[in-house]
Amino acid sequence: MFRYNFKLALHGLRRFPKSTTLAVLTVALGLAASMTTLALLHMLSADPLPGRSDHLYLAWVDTVQAKPFNTEVFKMAGITISSYDRIRMPDAEALLGAHRAMRQTALADMSADVEDGNGAHRQKDQNLLATTSDFVPMFGVALRYGRSWSATEDADRRPVAVIDENLAQQLFGTTHAVDRVVRINNKPFQVIGVSAAYAPQPHFYELASWSFSGSEHESVFVPYGAALDAGMSAYGPDGCDDSVTQKPGAAPDPQHCAWLSYWVQLDTPAQVASYREYLTHYVEQQKSLAGFGKKIAKVELLGVSQWLEKQNVIPDNVRLNVWMAGSFLLLCMVNVAGLLAAKFMRRSGEIGIRRALGATRGSIFTQHVIEASVVCVIGGVLALPLTMLGLKILRLQDDGFTDLAKLDPLMFTGLFVLALAVGVLVGLLPAWRASAVEPGLQVKSA
Amino acid sequence: MSWRAMFSTLYRHSLMPLLVLLQVALACAILCNVLFLVWQKMQPMLAPSGVAGHELILVDQISSTTRSWSAAEVQTAEEGLRRLPGVRAASAATGLPMVLTTLMIFEFKGPSGVKIGVNGYIGDGLVKTLGLQLVAGRDFLPAEYREYGDTNAGAPLPVIITQAMANQLIPDGQPVGKLLSDPNESTDPGYRVVGVVRHLLRNQLGMATDGKADYTVLTAQKIGKADGLSFAVRVDPSMREAALGEVRSFIHRQFDSTMDSHSPARISFYDERRDAAFKSQRAALWLFAGVSLSVVIVTVIGIMGLTGFWVQKRTRQIGIRRALGARRGDIIRLFLVENLLIVVMGVAVGMLLAFGCNLLLMHYYELPRLPWSYLPIGGVLMLLLGQLAVLSPAMRAARVPPIVATRSL
Repeated sequence: MFRYNFKLALHGLRRFPKSTTLAVLTVALGLAASMTTLALLHMLSADPLPGRSDHLYLAWVDTVQAKPFNTEVFKMAGITISSYDRIRMPDAEALLGAHRAMRQTALADMSADVEDGNGAHRQKDQNLLATTSDFVPMFGVALRYGRSWSATEDADRRPVAVIDENLAQQLFGTTHAVDRVVRINNKPFQVIGVSAAYAPQPHFYELASWSFSGSEHESVFVPYGAALDAGMSAYGPDGCDDSVTQKPGAAPDPQHCAWLSYWVQLDTPAQVASYREYLTHYVEQQKSLAGFGKKIAKVELLGVSQWLEKQNVIPDNVRLNVWMAGSFLLLCMVNVAGLLAAKFMRRSGEIGIRRALGATRGSIFTQHVIEASVVCVIGGVLALPLTMLGLKILRLQDDGFTDLAKLDPLMFTGLFVLALAVGVLVGLLPAWRASAVEPGLQVKSA
Repeated sequence: MSWRAMFSTLYRHSLMPLLVLLQVALACAILCNVLFLVWQKMQPMLAPSGVAGHELILVDQISSTTRSWSAAEVQTAEEGLRRLPGVRAASAATGLPMVLTTLMIFEFKGPSGVKIGVNGYIGDGLVKTLGLQLVAGRDFLPAEYREYGDTNAGAPLPVIITQAMANQLIPDGQPVGKLLSDPNESTDPGYRVVGVVRHLLRNQLGMATDGKADYTVLTAQKIGKADGLSFAVRVDPSMREAALGEVRSFIHRQFDSTMDSHSPARISFYDERRDAAFKSQRAALWLFAGVSLSVVIVTVIGIMGLTGFWVQKRTRQIGIRRALGARRGDIIRLFLVENLLIVVMGVAVGMLLAFGCNLLLMHYYELPRLPWSYLPIGGVLMLLLGQLAVLSPAMRAARVPPIVATRSL
């Protein structure tokens, strides 16, 4: 029966090729617009570290010895002040030393020129992650060769580094770079491990540097103590103690400024609750804070998805465009429903004859819904290159995140599911109208 | 032709008119909202800058993570720039038009209590360097300048405001000489208006909408000790390229040893900065233009297709009308008026829908309210589109010969 209906549908479509083409093109346009915007939203809202991110939490304690920032002025000026919930080094060290989570790490992005031992090959302005020994196992950095550093090496501020394959290739001409020496910011570091390129999207663990990027990623991982010893520093801090004056653009004072993002791994809700309690307790111990109008302990413990939501990493206009494309698709659907209704009503005579010969209303209805679906699926096929084109145009805009606009298998399937759903929806009204044709009237007048 | 006959036709065959109505409503809602977004993006681009953009070179930003520059170094550089061939004026400045690295924000309260948030540009002799047009009052006197960062408040700080700000803050009377206060600092002596310029575009371009494009102030402050240095340089228009080269080599000579090599200062003409600053705005405009065009095309095709079918279906009816004496013009008018009726109803629904969509968007995203004036614009647009789309099917209908009335009966 389906095959028969399908054959009828194809036959029907060939009858008025002009209106069929128009309907197919309209559907293709609507689908392509929707899929382009949806694909971008999908890429931007994907889980950065599947399987791991559910257990990672950003911990923050407000221990900066300064008056809370007055944000009223900025609100009036329409400026949102970004604070990335970072903490000072003494707090990070205290929390790290307590070992209250399964794993814990502090981290900050820096940048430095990196060269091989004798200075023959130099890579300028490499992104470098200054962190601790737990980062590599906790965030799933895949090691190709060698090892990552240990807690002892952290404590000793040992100048060791894990570099990624691409950088190893550029510096040494081979990825087997373990035990070689690299000069980072003109200081020697020993390469103890080589990792695969590591670039989760979004760059959730240090949003202060960038959120989405097709080009930026850290190629060097070093203990943060060693990084400070080598004269490197983090970018602008979230805030500093009143005892130091922080100039805009200058290197933050590591002791008194909040420049480290602190991440912990917690596997069960009970662990999360007890860690939150621990953080609160930690802040309450800092008696001196009361002098700065911080009488209530301010702590935060946010899961990855909460954190991304709080920082609003997906730009508003990406969502806005999805809405716009969606309403455009709706318009296209109404349009195609109209075109199909007209098309179906033109063959009222034919439907009358089928009905007179014994076809039920149901089978007429099915036939026409199938015909509508065929139109929309063909539209979907046509929408595929159009969507590719749309994504390519998106990638041409250098908004930072747009170079991630790609169609993954899920979205590819999504396109056809959407096309089919649109087809059935669009077909309902015209098919109902067609099935309501009175056989007697049509046969008589034909 | 009676209205009753027309309504009853529409009512008896309600599917086609209903689909047209629905399309018109959707298209109207989308167009109203998109046009509004377009206008939001266009306003900063259309706003007059007030500066002599063709003659203005911006140097931004000389910075270093390890040091800052002393007042003497800043002054030496400023004077050095002024002596270069082709240079007419130069100012060390903080906050400059089309420069987004540093924003200076001020809040002012007028005598009548109106509060506004504005951007500020600070530097010695900026009126001359930027080429601003004074419409009232005067430029700052050399003695009036204070060093930026000095808090030896006593007398109110002299300021030069724009005409748009004057209209807002001091709606009645002469703005020059009036006192403005800072609503956040009750103890502050405030600001005294000494001059008014015609236009000066703010550098917070996202806020340059709805009459706030000119919310910019100049204060009588000059750059002393600075962490990041910017310069505005006005050059002789006949020596643009030569002067640009001179400025470039001067900045390199003066600062190469002290500024960070990985973030060198950009030295370019205002026009070029403007281009770069509006890049994302332009991309958004192209997108919106594409959306609007697609909506218009799809709607026109939809109305044409549906009306075409309707004409075909009513061929005999048209024939009878013709046989009974209706002229071609009457038939065309019949379809135009029918379309008008449907579209008006569609527009009514569409306006409600547009307003609802805007409320929804306002709730989730930082969008201003859709002004009422956009609804009739969208409506009139839809009416015109509807009439345009229906023209060709109506002409086809008018060509139906009266003889078909007698056929196949």
